[in-house]
Amino acid sequence: MMHIQLLDDITKILFVLVLATAALIITVRTLSSLFNVYAIQSWFIAAVAFVLYLKNGSVVLLLLAILTVISKAFLVPYVMRRIQKSMHMKRDLEFRYLTPVGSILVGTAMIFLVYWSFSRFLPELSSDELFIFGSVIGVSLTLMGMMVIFTRKRMITKILGYLTMENGVLLFSLFIAELPFIIELLIVIDLVMLIVLATVLAFGIDSSIDEFHNKLNSYILWFKE
Amino acid sequence: MLFLIYALLNTVFIILISPLFISLIKKVKAYMQGRHGPPLFQTYYMLSKLLKKETVYSNNTSLIIRITPYINVVCVIVASLFVPVVFIPGMTAGFGNVILFLYLLVCAKFFMALAGLDAGSTFGGMGSSREMTFSAVIEPVIIIVFAALGLLLKTTNIYQMFATSLQSSLLINPSTLLISLSLFIILIVESSRIPVDNPETHLELTMIHEAMLLEYSGPDLAMMEMSHAVKQTLLMAVLINVLFPWGLTASPNVLSVSISIISFIAKGAFLAIAVGIFESLFAKSRLFRLPNLFMLAFFFSFSTILFELLK
Repeated sequence: MMHIQLLDDITKILFVLVLATAALIITVRTLSSLFNVYAIQSWFIAAVAFVLYLKNGSVVLLLLAILTVISKAFLVPYVMRRIQKSMHMKRDLEFRYLTPVGSILVGTAMIFLVYWSFSRFLPELSSDELFIFGSVIGVSLTLMGMMVIFTRKRMITKILGYLTMENGVLLFSLFIAELPFIIELLIVIDLVMLIVLATVLAFGIDSSIDEFHNKLNSYILWFKE
Repeated sequence: MLFLIYALLNTVFIILISPLFISLIKKVKAYMQGRHGPPLFQTYYMLSKLLKKETVYSNNTSLIIRITPYINVVCVIVASLFVPVVFIPGMTAGFGNVILFLYLLVCAKFFMALAGLDAGSTFGGMGSSREMTFSAVIEPVIIIVFAALGLLLKTTNIYQMFATSLQSSLLINPSTLLISLSLFIILIVESSRIPVDNPETHLELTMIHEAMLLEYSGPDLAMMEMSHAVKQTLLMAVLINVLFPWGLTASPNVLSVSISIISFIAKGAFLAIAVGIFESLFAKSRLFRLPNLFMLAFFFSFSTILFELLK
């Protein structure tokens, strides 16, 4: 009980760090560091869930933290790195519509917009300061992930945009309402499937059908394991 | 009387310690490259050597190039009064205003750019033009960052900022973490380090700050180098005292002042090592990609403001 203030403060620091990683995901060009940033962001979100568990004592949150670490901090970056290795691509230098500078400016404006619109009705739902904080950051993270999807040209970074969006949704759901654990689990399974499918497509979409077949065959091993 | 002691002690300490940080960064970079690097006191030796030499001016130069070193040194020394590192003095009218502090630094930069143009050499003109182009982009960012700092610590006076951050901890004000990221970027940009500028090269394609100093020699060059070093220490001191103010004291007695001096040397050395490692990790970025870095500083300071609004 006496640590509640401390836990709240730690949560705020974690929010700050999540925001910093979001800014990096928009701007970083080297793929391997991009995956690292994503893994670090997932660690931070898992930490938020863990801190909330310490505060509320609800086991679902603990399970959620563990699930996040296993799937998003280890499994997903691992798969992405493996895909990247076979793609012979180290950097994503192409941007569309917005340069990274523009994206950051738009991102800043977006956070402000989310804050402005949320501050009109959220205080009436709950007076908890962390609740407003968490929902603003969560929704902004979702929107920033969306921005990654439309500004990056390469498929593999677009996928990272989807993943960032999912992180944002998770953060939002942590504070807005307690999602049943089974739904969270299904989302994570969907996520993994999405990555597998999307990367296979991303990998094959620029080659002819025959090559695509050969490339696809090299992934069959994964499903046999 | 107390303020006079503070002024003397603070200024002398900052002037004495600044070259050390410059050499420490060089040393760290040398180690990262597998070399031994110059000795830690090399910058002091260089400055004393330069002070003994004669000054040579080009025939085409005007008064500007002669007075700029003095203006630069005076500006940064006055600015150094605004950043307490030995102890925090009481409020004194006219000192510690953050906007004045920034404009003193900008004034020094403005005269340096003029002096670069003065000799009429192409290098100097190129350096000045680049420096001013970047200033036009980074200056609004710096103002926003310091405005966020002011909003966070509820004052525009640097003395009070440090006093507030001394009393609160990182946990009470988590936004200090965000603002110190911005301050670190400003430190890198303003002290012309990689990825913005390479302080070690005189290659025409990459240099910005050094290009403006090419026409200087002897004691004038020593003054310009000194003012650059002091400026770097001042920005480092702002970052250190906002993020890790431990050791800094508000009570001016011998013991706490010496603790504060020693802790500042330790923290400054730590930050200098961090800057050296940061410089070694990055390559010089392309000129047009630099606004990216500035925008990160802008983003972080803006989110600090937002966090303050959310409270």
